[in-house]
Formats: sequence, C-alpha cells, structure tokens
Amino acid sequence: MRGIYTPVTKIRRQVFTEVAKLAYEGGDYNKVEEIPFRIIPGEVPTYRDSIFVERAIVGERIRLAIGLPLYPADQPTYISNGVEESAISEKVYDPPLVNVIPFACNRCDETAMMVTDNCRGCLAHPCVSVCPVKAISIVDGKSHIDREKCVKCGRCRDICPYHAIVKYDRPCAAACGVDAIESDHLGRAKINYDKCVSCGMCLVSCPFGAIADKSQIFQLIHAIKSGHEVIAEIAPAFVGQFGPLATPGKVKQALLELGFSKVYEVAIGADQGAVEEAHHYVHKVASGEEPFLATSCCPAWSVMAKRDFPEIAPYVSDALTPMVATARVIKKEHPDSKIVFIGPCAAKKLEASRKSVRSDVDFVITFEELMGMFVAKGIEFGEMDGDEVIDDATAAGRGYSVAGGVADAIANCVDELYPDVNIMVDRAEGLRDCAKMLKIARAGKRDGYLMEGMACPGGCIGGAGTMLAFAKASTAVREFQNVSPDKVATKSRYVEAEEE
Amino acid sequence: MHRKGDDAAMKELKVEICVCTECVMKGAMELAESVESLKKVKKHLDYEGEIYIDMEKCLGESKHGEDSPLIAVDGELIKNADSETVMEKIVEKMKAAC
Repeated sequence: MRGIYTPVTKIRRQVFTEVAKLAYEGGDYNKVEEIPFRIIPGEVPTYRDSIFVERAIVGERIRLAIGLPLYPADQPTYISNGVEESAISEKVYDPPLVNVIPFACNRCDETAMMVTDNCRGCLAHPCVSVCPVKAISIVDGKSHIDREKCVKCGRCRDICPYHAIVKYDRPCAAACGVDAIESDHLGRAKINYDKCVSCGMCLVSCPFGAIADKSQIFQLIHAIKSGHEVIAEIAPAFVGQFGPLATPGKVKQALLELGFSKVYEVAIGADQGAVEEAHHYVHKVASGEEPFLATSCCPAWSVMAKRDFPEIAPYVSDALTPMVATARVIKKEHPDSKIVFIGPCAAKKLEASRKSVRSDVDFVITFEELMGMFVAKGIEFGEMDGDEVIDDATAAGRGYSVAGGVADAIANCVDELYPDVNIMVDRAEGLRDCAKMLKIARAGKRDGYLMEGMACPGGCIGGAGTMLAFAKASTAVREFQNVSPDKVATKSRYVEAEEE
Repeated sequence: MHRKGDDAAMKELKVEICVCTECVMKGAMELAESVESLKKVKKHLDYEGEIYIDMEKCLGESKHGEDSPLIAVDGELIKNADSETVMEKIVEKMKAAC
C-alpha cells in the first residue's frame, strides 16, 4: 500500500520520529512510557475498539523500533523494560527480525472462496454446475460454499454473472512469496521462521498494522552522539524518497548535518559487482563450465534460492553484495569508522548480521527510519543552501535499485568487455515468481542464462522501507542515472582502482 | 452548435502541495498520488480542464508540523489535509468552473 497514506503509515512513522527524539534527548529513558500517550492522545479510540489496545500496540511498535523483542502479552511489564540497557553504540539485535504483534492481528481467515451479498440466487446458478468437487449448493435461496470440500479452483468466481463470488486472501499471507505465514492456536497470523526470509512484504501489506520489523536507529543515534566516526553508505533507491526538495546533494548535506562524517553511494559496490559478475558469466557460464549464474545482491532472494533450491545454490554469485563491497571500500580508507547502510530493505538488516561473511556493516536503517531522524532533528531540505554533490558511481550501479537494473548493468559490462559474447538474461520480481524462474532453471531450461532475482515487486524501490510510490521513484532513479557521466560500470573509478 | 467547453476557457486548477520534511513525513507525496489519480477520472467527474500539481516549496511558515500536511487548492489552504478532503475540495472547484 505504498503511495497511500493510511493510519498504519501514520503510526509507523510517528513511532520512528518519537524513538529518534527520545534517543537525541537522552536522559531518563522511563520517558518512553509517555510516547504512546502522544501518539494516541485523549480517551476515545480512533482506530480500534479500545484506546488501551491502541496504546499497547504502539508500545510494542516502540519496543521493536528500539530493537527490543516483543513482550508476551500475558506477562506484566513496562515498555521501558530493557530500554536503558539498549542505549548503546552497538547494534542491538536478536532474531526474529519481522514480528507479528499478536494482539494487533485481526485474525483474518485464511484463503477462501466466499459468496458475497451480491448473490441474487439466480435461476441459472452456474456456480453449482461448474464446481468439480460438488462444494456449492443453494441454501435459503442463496449460493453456499462448503469450505471443507472447496479446493479454491476459482471456477465459481469466474462464472458468476454478478461477480458475487470472490477469492478472499489474507493480505499478509498473499504478500508472502514463500508461504511463511501460518496461524497460531488463536487464529492469529504467525510467521514460520524456517521459511521467512525477512523480505518485509507482509509488514507493508497488513491493513491492521500488526506486523513490524526491528530497528536500529536508537543505537545508531547513540553512536553518533558518543562521538564515533560514523559513515553512511546510501543505497541507489534513495533518490526522491524524501520529497522533491531533497535532491541527492541535499540528502548528503542532511546526512552530514545529522552527524555522519561522510556519505558514499552503495552503487560503488554495485559497479564493482557488475564487472566481477560479467567476468564470471563469460568465463564460467558462456563457456559452458557452469549452467547459469544467479545474482545475489537481494538477500531475501539469495537466501530463498540457496535454501529451497540446493542444486542451484553453487551457481548463486558469490561476489560481494554492493552493501558489503562498498563497506570494504570505506573501511580501507577509514578503518576505525562505524558504517551504516541506509536502504529500502528489511532483509539487509539480516544480511549485515550474517556471520559467514564479515560484512563490515555496523548498522542498517531504512529510508522511513531515516526520515524519522530528519524530522526529530528538524532538518529542513527547503532551507539548505549547500552545494554538496554525490558523485561516486556510474549510471549502471545506480540502476541496481529498479528491477532489471542489475541484469542491465552486468549485460552492459559483458558487451563492453567481451563484445563477441552474447548474454542471455531472465529475471523475476516477487519471491513467488522468483521461485518459478528457479524451477524452470532446475528443469534445465535456463542453461547459459544470467538470472536476476528481486524479492520486492518493482525491485528495491518497492522495498519495505521505502516511502515513495513506484512510478515516481523509478523516474527519480532514471534522472539520477542520467546525471552520472559514466554509463557503464567498467568506467567507475573504484573499478579501475581495483583492476590495478 | 454550442459545446460545453466553448464559453468557459479551459479551466486550470492549481494544487500546491507543501513538501517540507514534516509534510513529507505526514504523507505529502501520497497526497500528490491521490490528486494525480483524479486526472484519470476526469470523465467521470465531468471536468475538462487541467490539474497542475506544484511541489516546489514550503507553503506555510517554518516548522508548521502541527498543520502538516499543507495543501492549497486554487489558492485555498487546507491544513492537516487528507486525501478524501483534498479530492472533495478539488471536485468542488471543478464543478464551480463549469
């Protein structure tokens, strides 16, 4: 539901702003108990039956925003429990990343075919005739579906002349591309963490705002306040996210005002990765030594690919992801700094914690969380007069943020470095379609291909931490790409430095 | 033959949306989307003019967070704007034009 400002959006953003304010003010952290009363003032409920439930849910969102775990609803506690101890300069994070707040969940039914009030009990009742399992009958003059027998094929929905039958999908489960959402003993949504890859699509789809992920802004602000050298690497999806006044140069200036000592484009690592994967493709895939190459910059996709398709796992690129590659570049020049990845993505929070690759990334925050910091600090893009410039990457690296951009960048490198090689590309958006593409590959029909997978529809600009609707974000990215004098990743000065 | 558009000049409706930090946080970009969505239903709303969206500057005084988001439809200021109120105001102005 990006592009539409709902009460869920309002509460989520208010929580980020208030938590950021709390961190900036410091002092007695028992003050956190006051936040729900600022976000949900008065005595009359606005969103739910009871104002106490509204405040309790906000309280849980605040705990998650501070990085603390949800508290069991049947135990006595205060929101402030553990806040003081988490006011530190290192990331506070224990899995799980994405959490359902159980008492916020509306206990929506699981997928079902439903007869709505549109049904007129017509003479023809074709719904009855088309059902392959005889699940539909006419009861009290209206069509009735026996849920025990129904196999959800949808034929009744397709044939009804009044469109009275609908397929009802629980929004969180429908958004989840790996079918990780189940139900607990009370019918509330429950995430199966063996399947979940933390893409975050469920948390932006729940119309009751019952799902949220943990944040690191509280600790990040403390790290900056403590005087550490904190450097920002910002993902190419950032352009336009903070409004039209927040041009790329102004965003850099705003980050410097927040206390980051330097700002780099994650597109640097994207440029490097594109070149490396171009070489890999030509030497291993085009040569026939390996059947295909799958990109790995999207962590939700690459975890899903390696876990659910073990035969394909060896062919998922082991090039450093742009986040990690850029962090390494920064660490070489600034070895004592703390590095913060600012991006559109929930799954990157997990990737940064992975022990298998030393990520060199100390914190991960999303654009929405960063916006909370801007508001808390009173940063005003319209009042900035500086002329900061962001100029680290090529158009190719910047294009990584839109679906198709990774494949384009690699293909352009192949064309540039190996003009005689013909590269074949397939790509998918959304984890369900990604899985379909991998099944086709497993069946042997994608040999010789480069496969780009994006967990979020639209690519990274559709990520769980974004604020801007797809069309505007895509336009903004294109404009920023055009501004770069270098079009192909091979021209990046960071790539040339590496080649030496 | 008298056609509807003949006597009234093509009415232009200017919608100014404040995009300062607080307004963006409180949904200014999403409001822009909802105003743009009206362009697609002009026929249903019986309107032939153009809707211009201007997001160049801050509309209110500095730090008007309490009034965010701020929108001006044809010069008329709406505080704490939401998409329903804004679309209603635009439709009202459209009807007044014809």
